[in-house]
Amino acid sequence: MCGIAGIYAYHYAANAVDRAELRRIRDYMAARGPDGLGEWYSQDERVGFGHRRLTIIDLSERGAQPMMSADGKLVVTFNGEIYNYRQLRASLEAKGHRFRTQTDTEVLLHLYSQKGEAMVQDLRGMFAFGLWDAEKHALLLVRDPYGIKPLYYADDGWTVRFASQVKALLAGAKVSRDPEPAGWVGFCLFGSVPEPFTTYQDVLALPAGSTLWVDRVGTHEAKQYFSIADTYCRAEVTTSAIGNKADQQDRAREALLDSVRDHLVADVPVGAFLSSGIDSGALVGLMRDAGQQQIQTVTVAFEEFRGSSEDEAPIAAEVASRYGTRHTTRVVTEQEFQIDLPKILEAMDQPTIDGLNTWFVSKAARELGLKVAISGLGGDELFGGYPSFREVPLCVRALAIPGRIPALGDLTRWLLTRDFSPSLNPKAAGLLKYGGSYAGAYFLRRGLFMPWEVEALIGADTRLGLRRLNPIRYIEGLLEPKPSSSFSRIAVLESSLYMRNQLLRDTDWASMAHSLEVRLPLVDSRLLNQFASITARNGSQSKRLLAHSPRVPLSPKVIERPKTGFTTPIQSWLQRDNRIQEWRQVPSLAAYKCAWARRWAFEVSAATAGA
Amino acid sequence: MARSELRILALVTEAFGGRGGIAQYNRDFLSALARCDRIGGVIVLPRFGSGSVNALPTGVQQLRPVESRNAYSLAAVWTAITHRPIDFVFCGHLRMAPLAAVICRVLNVPLWLQIHGVDVWHDLSALQHRALESATMVTSVSRHTRRRLLHWVGIDQARVKVLPNTVESQFQPGPKPGYLLERHAAGGKKVLMTVSRLSSLERYKGHDRVIRTLPRVLKQRPDTIYLIVGDGDDRPRLESLTVECGVTKNVLFTGSVPPEELPDYFRLADVFVMPSVAEGFGIVFLEAMATGIRVIGGSQDGSRDALCDGALGTLVDPENGEELASAIITALDDPTRTGDRTTRFKSNLFSEHLNALSQFFSEHSRRSLRERRTSQRGKVTVSVPNAFRSFANDQQCR
Repeated sequence: MCGIAGIYAYHYAANAVDRAELRRIRDYMAARGPDGLGEWYSQDERVGFGHRRLTIIDLSERGAQPMMSADGKLVVTFNGEIYNYRQLRASLEAKGHRFRTQTDTEVLLHLYSQKGEAMVQDLRGMFAFGLWDAEKHALLLVRDPYGIKPLYYADDGWTVRFASQVKALLAGAKVSRDPEPAGWVGFCLFGSVPEPFTTYQDVLALPAGSTLWVDRVGTHEAKQYFSIADTYCRAEVTTSAIGNKADQQDRAREALLDSVRDHLVADVPVGAFLSSGIDSGALVGLMRDAGQQQIQTVTVAFEEFRGSSEDEAPIAAEVASRYGTRHTTRVVTEQEFQIDLPKILEAMDQPTIDGLNTWFVSKAARELGLKVAISGLGGDELFGGYPSFREVPLCVRALAIPGRIPALGDLTRWLLTRDFSPSLNPKAAGLLKYGGSYAGAYFLRRGLFMPWEVEALIGADTRLGLRRLNPIRYIEGLLEPKPSSSFSRIAVLESSLYMRNQLLRDTDWASMAHSLEVRLPLVDSRLLNQFASITARNGSQSKRLLAHSPRVPLSPKVIERPKTGFTTPIQSWLQRDNRIQEWRQVPSLAAYKCAWARRWAFEVSAATAGA
Repeated sequence: MARSELRILALVTEAFGGRGGIAQYNRDFLSALARCDRIGGVIVLPRFGSGSVNALPTGVQQLRPVESRNAYSLAAVWTAITHRPIDFVFCGHLRMAPLAAVICRVLNVPLWLQIHGVDVWHDLSALQHRALESATMVTSVSRHTRRRLLHWVGIDQARVKVLPNTVESQFQPGPKPGYLLERHAAGGKKVLMTVSRLSSLERYKGHDRVIRTLPRVLKQRPDTIYLIVGDGDDRPRLESLTVECGVTKNVLFTGSVPPEELPDYFRLADVFVMPSVAEGFGIVFLEAMATGIRVIGGSQDGSRDALCDGALGTLVDPENGEELASAIITALDDPTRTGDRTTRFKSNLFSEHLNALSQFFSEHSRRSLRERRTSQRGKVTVSVPNAFRSFANDQQCR
């Protein structure tokens, strides 16, 4: 993990790059890359790149960035890992390319000179980079297929700036802080800010799986080179060729092992987050199968949960023992949480209601000296682990017909949100309005607030934000092209909305704050290409394939354990914390039955609005 | 056979024979556009301005102005029909955008929309929203105007580009002209100046802020006079204000000045000051800077672009009287003239950038026409105009 930054003054009237600004942006991200820093400027001072480095591959100074090609025509500033860089390098060397370092960064330069923008199709990994092509006099921005690595840019009409963090761009002090209503509305509706919006009008996220050119006229439209929905659609056509159960298990093991093996490439030790679930446990087993002898695993536990079913520590310890890892259980206390809370809000790049758990497990991993950790994130999206895979199709089947009656949904919503039914769950009022379509039912399942509640939270700009975001159309857009099976549709939505905007972004800022790189073998476009046809056929039973993929499978105790998620007692800690009690001023939030996530969202928005 | 040259219909408020910043911008824009390769002709339909114009740039044909709104709409549709083939429509003002969008829809050609400033200070009408959303490209005169537009309209930011004003060659540095020194008895005095139409609709320009600051300035620099150039219905209010502030002797209202004298007026000044809060760009800053005098502008609006974030002049918080007074005194105290500081706004760069934008426009037009064709498939058959297709394939501008 690293931090990247760049400024391109593309317009003829723009001032040249302000070096001090670029350094402010870059150095805001010091925690992302504590091991080194670098900068590069074009001769005419119209382009500048910055980089903060966390050394993981080729620890020498030769791997420093920004990195220039031998002929000086290309320069790259890169954040992430290219897991197949050795294969790519061998193939490029066979074509006559000569390398100066052992880094994956240099592979990017050679691959671009060989294939141009089409290079992105060859990359396996998590990455975000900016590449300056001096011959074209243009800047290429690229983000990985799932959007694991963040990349934000701000084009003011004269100058484009990019960085790994929104707050870093703001730290440069030349990007407007005008709020983006669609970003704030999106946060209230989903609990995270839906890309490409951010909470600032001038700052956009480069969408996952996209490239973007910036030349003398400014930014061009982002071009999508990978689509999760499209992958599932193509997979559905090939489900007939996936063989019997045994074949499927063999193929699953092969694909998973291949992904895990690639995700272990590093010149520093790679550890793992371990919970009591199947995903992280199976990955640790596969790490062992991939040949890793020394594995440091870490689990977060809470005193409050000791002895209860929510305590992950005992089962995680059993899994660790099964695979012979060096295991650490790190206990987090309420006092530690209270001390860390201001730092958490400071590190939170965009408002979100999650990420607290990742904060503590990343902290624990870093305390153990790890720079890299494997996480099982993505398993529930890939293998159908969430209740939404069951509940959303049920809801759609039940409400498809009443949902089609014109104005009925709006009428019932209007009636049920009158003053005489204040205790009604807001989502119940939206059942008929939204429940009859996949996009609507998914919105009900994952939504935090309903659209008619938002104005009370963020005020006047709500209508503007709702008009611009158009939440249902936004979700429908993620489902284009639309897969035919309900499993694939939910998998697309969970991966493209919840995982992308919430889990991946939270993992980035929460681990970054501790200078820890988190790798995700289950969030991998190549794995999805290999797996989508299998999961499309097996539905939610697919997780068994993961559980039985390690040579020593997980124990039945782990496989049969009901899903709990990675829960924490943070709810009660937050409710007791005197510093965050503003929610009590809002009647709907002060109501007895209000979910804590809604209160927390309100507190987060209050804490981050002026940041 | 495919035509190789494009014909453009330009719907504008004013252009050749018109007055003011927008007319000037349109003249620069349309002249440069007509010089692009592959542009076969620009047909300009203005709403206001002089009916007879002596000299038009090559490739530009301007029709008679049509002032009435309804008559203008009819004239625009009639022109679009009778001057076919039209390959795209340039619309020079947001107020005309709905009309331009309808014509584009009927002709199935792309729309290039220009915005200036005050037109996007407030939320837009539903029709304007739809017109903006249908535009292939929007050019804005400044970054500030672009940001204001994007606040109201959720269109792809990549489609909104900035094309700033340019400055005419008659604005050059030179000594203080003797005839003006004599006319205004300005010999031996420091001259502060603002140029505008003194319209009560443009009070945002901040003459009143300068007048209120003047006592502070005069306390330290008593030999200063403030020249207010231009005439309009806001003059009585400002005259009263000078009485109220006790600076009548130091404020001179010149009234309207002939355009040919304007460069000399700038040369007469030591400092041009306009602490505006709602400037779309402020071409007058460029004219002042081209004559080499010092310039002070507001930091909250499009003036930032004209002053290049402070690189070419001093930006002040317009509402902060102390900051304004201090900036004025500092500027008055510096006797050196800087020479022409507007190299980056010269017309050759403007033309080159317009060429690059027209290429961007053609690439995106192909895409948006293809999308429109796809969305209309099954309803009507629509074809991409031949000339546009070949233009898009090979767009080279001089």
